[in-house]
Amino acid sequence: MATIEVAGKTIEVDEEGYLTNLSDWDEEVAAELAKKEGIDMTENHWEVVNFLREYYEEYQVAPPIRVLTKAIAKKLGPEKGNSDYLYELFPYGPAKQACKIAGLPKPTGCV
Amino acid sequence: MSGLFYLATLTFLIGMVWKILQYARTPAPLKIPTTPAPPTSAGVVARLARETLFFESLFRANLLLWFFAVLFHGGLALVFIRHLRYFVDPVPAWLVWMQPFGIYGGIAMVLGLMGLLARRFLIRRVRYISTPSDYLWLVLLLVIGVSGLTMTYVAHPDVVALKAYIQSLWHFTPAPFPADPFLTLHLLGFLVLLALFPFSKLLHAPGVFFSPTRNQADDAREHRHLAPWSQSELESQ
Amino acid sequence: MATPTAVPTLDPTTIDQFTPDAMAGVRSFPAPPEIQGAIGFAPELSEGWEARAIARMGELLQENRALRVFLDACVHCGACTDKCHYYLGTKDPKNMPVARQELLRSVYRRYFTFAGKWFPKLVGARDLTRDVLDEWYSYFYQCSECRRCSLFCPYGIDTAEITMAAREILNHIGYGQKYTSEIIGKVHRIGNNLGLTAPALRNTLEGLEEELKEETGLDIRFPLDEAGAEVLLVTPSADFFAEPHIYSLIGYAKVFHAAGISWTLSTKASEAGNFGLFIGNHQQMRKIAHRIRDAALDLGVKRVVVGECGHAWRVAYSFWNTLIGVGSGADPDDRYGHLLQKQLDHRYKQPSHICEVTWDLLQRGAIQVDPEANDHLTVTYHDSCNVARGSRMGDTPDGAFEIPRAIIRKVANRFVEMDPATIRERTFCCGGGGGLLTDDLLDVRIKGAAPRMAALREVVETHKVNFMATICAICKAQFTKVLPAYGFKMGMVGGVHQLVSNAIRLGQNG
Repeated sequence: MATIEVAGKTIEVDEEGYLTNLSDWDEEVAAELAKKEGIDMTENHWEVVNFLREYYEEYQVAPPIRVLTKAIAKKLGPEKGNSDYLYELFPYGPAKQACKIAGLPKPTGCV
Repeated sequence: MSGLFYLATLTFLIGMVWKILQYARTPAPLKIPTTPAPPTSAGVVARLARETLFFESLFRANLLLWFFAVLFHGGLALVFIRHLRYFVDPVPAWLVWMQPFGIYGGIAMVLGLMGLLARRFLIRRVRYISTPSDYLWLVLLLVIGVSGLTMTYVAHPDVVALKAYIQSLWHFTPAPFPADPFLTLHLLGFLVLLALFPFSKLLHAPGVFFSPTRNQADDAREHRHLAPWSQSELESQ
Repeated sequence: MATPTAVPTLDPTTIDQFTPDAMAGVRSFPAPPEIQGAIGFAPELSEGWEARAIARMGELLQENRALRVFLDACVHCGACTDKCHYYLGTKDPKNMPVARQELLRSVYRRYFTFAGKWFPKLVGARDLTRDVLDEWYSYFYQCSECRRCSLFCPYGIDTAEITMAAREILNHIGYGQKYTSEIIGKVHRIGNNLGLTAPALRNTLEGLEEELKEETGLDIRFPLDEAGAEVLLVTPSADFFAEPHIYSLIGYAKVFHAAGISWTLSTKASEAGNFGLFIGNHQQMRKIAHRIRDAALDLGVKRVVVGECGHAWRVAYSFWNTLIGVGSGADPDDRYGHLLQKQLDHRYKQPSHICEVTWDLLQRGAIQVDPEANDHLTVTYHDSCNVARGSRMGDTPDGAFEIPRAIIRKVANRFVEMDPATIRERTFCCGGGGGLLTDDLLDVRIKGAAPRMAALREVVETHKVNFMATICAICKAQFTKVLPAYGFKMGMVGGVHQLVSNAIRLGQNG
């Protein structure tokens, strides 16, 4: 099993770098995961990550992209409520990259 | 020689019956015709006829390969018919009439085989996938074909004695074999081919008729296709 | 992070220039023991796997005529050698269909044929060793089971059947692939490949209703679990989750709305996809399909309709009648078949593809469209492999090609075909089908997309095509990912019903 080091703690991740235990997540861990993805976390990144975690808390799954874009539009303004904007923040794809940083399991299936 | 004749024929027959029964008895659990496919059984018969007589799929795949394959198989069919004169007596008029075509067939067959063999050497992809036996089959068929043509054009054997010999085999009272080097080579080659047929890739001949992607009708929504082993516990509930 | 993949160029003159074992090291992650175990496979490789693998192969040979015939019949003619998109894109000769088959066939020969037992070298027979097994794992997960090779094989040998058998053996002995096994576990546990829980699904659908209300002023519904609806729509869960998939879902809803057909989705059957097909496991495939039968019976629907999903349509069209009785023509004494079939309305094809439904309504004038709505698009159509070579629509053999095109021509004014050698039954796989749509295989996916991308580039350059329509969730996801690697915009791909959604006239029945 692979691991990452954050602030002296050793945290388990799976083969693809997703957290094995969701409860290991905190903002420091997220920052470390983001660094591995080559992403510099800004306020706007955190908005997305926090929303993902809230949604996951309630529904036990990552939000559909449309739910996410609507939520972001509400928070950051309608001009940012689209997937192009999300791809700007998370170039490898909001569903997967943002989920990884948010400590959620990888969305699977035909996505 | 006569012993070999009987042994090879018997091996061929038993082997083929065994393989064909095996194919026929193995269930096809699902409908898997390669579509677009004919929706009716009449359409399937037509598809298989196009496949086996004209090599439809091969034509789509590779024209040069199709050409050599048709040359070889078509030639072989004519040669086969020509050889019937050794097995039937009296020889019917149509068979007499088609004898020269059998010779052309022999030439076509050898040319086709040479083309197929050349491909295995010259095309790197085909060389990569060829096993020693792939070359040997072509060589064996060439030996049979070339020795046959040699007897037609160069060194005629005693065909009257040959016919008498084959007729005697037919009646299980073997006469002496009309020894002739080319004839011996020709017949031995043929017997080897016959005996190995059911244990080799030559099974593509019966196989094509049992190929589910080609012999199934595309009617999955109209008929509930069932295979015995797959009726699971779910159905008995 | 994924390593960047060099985009292959396709030059017909270099077709023979290959590099042996170029892709041997490209492997998706094997499934961890808990994932394998959860769906009833051996958790991991253990002592004696060789014998268990050979025994399983023996069983498959008894159960499946296709496998039996295909393993015997190949003559190594080479007709298939330049037909596989993965060979064309990777130039690894083991990605030639015949060579891929040979990985399994060589072992079959060794253990099941006279020639292979006594003359292994002569006929290319091999013992099943760990190296051979790893090679299976590499290359049988570099096949998308698209059946293009089977179209060209003179004996109809379908590499998909060989790949499925190999994956079944691998799973049986505990060497499964994480992507497919994890998803199959989710379908059983939660009801769909994505793991969308019922509350999440309901929330998503309600959100869509609100959104469409704002946009159109109409109550366009996305009903869930509504007993007594006429139509049960079974669609890939990606349609609820991802873009561009969701635009087609909106399209289906608008079609049903405009035609006044009552319909429902089901939480139990919230997935059309059936990855049991990909791993060649009959029991899994049946079990996954069985959710649809249960949902149809529970909800009392008259019709079962399948959304835009390629392999799901193959399973639905070709296998559902066999597996779960969704179809027609069960024998009078077939109680299991009749239980469902007497409930279904056989004036309609069972199951129907959403394209069949929409085309029928368009032909009858039951829905109206304004093709001008798509005038900003020049559209081409990518035939999805499982639809093209493993199923049909309508009454004629070429219905699966004609019906989606007929819809597109009706709803869009500008339609252009790609190179005829790359469409209809000759279509090239998107490069992500058959269980390969996973990040760890991105390299293979990008390379495998090369033939399709080349054909697309041609029509982009000559006709300014800016939209490639398709009817498969995997194609949509795969293209979204690989189009940028080829310098195209990811938004270029979308569903046929995305176009319908743009053009359909609403309100008459609202």
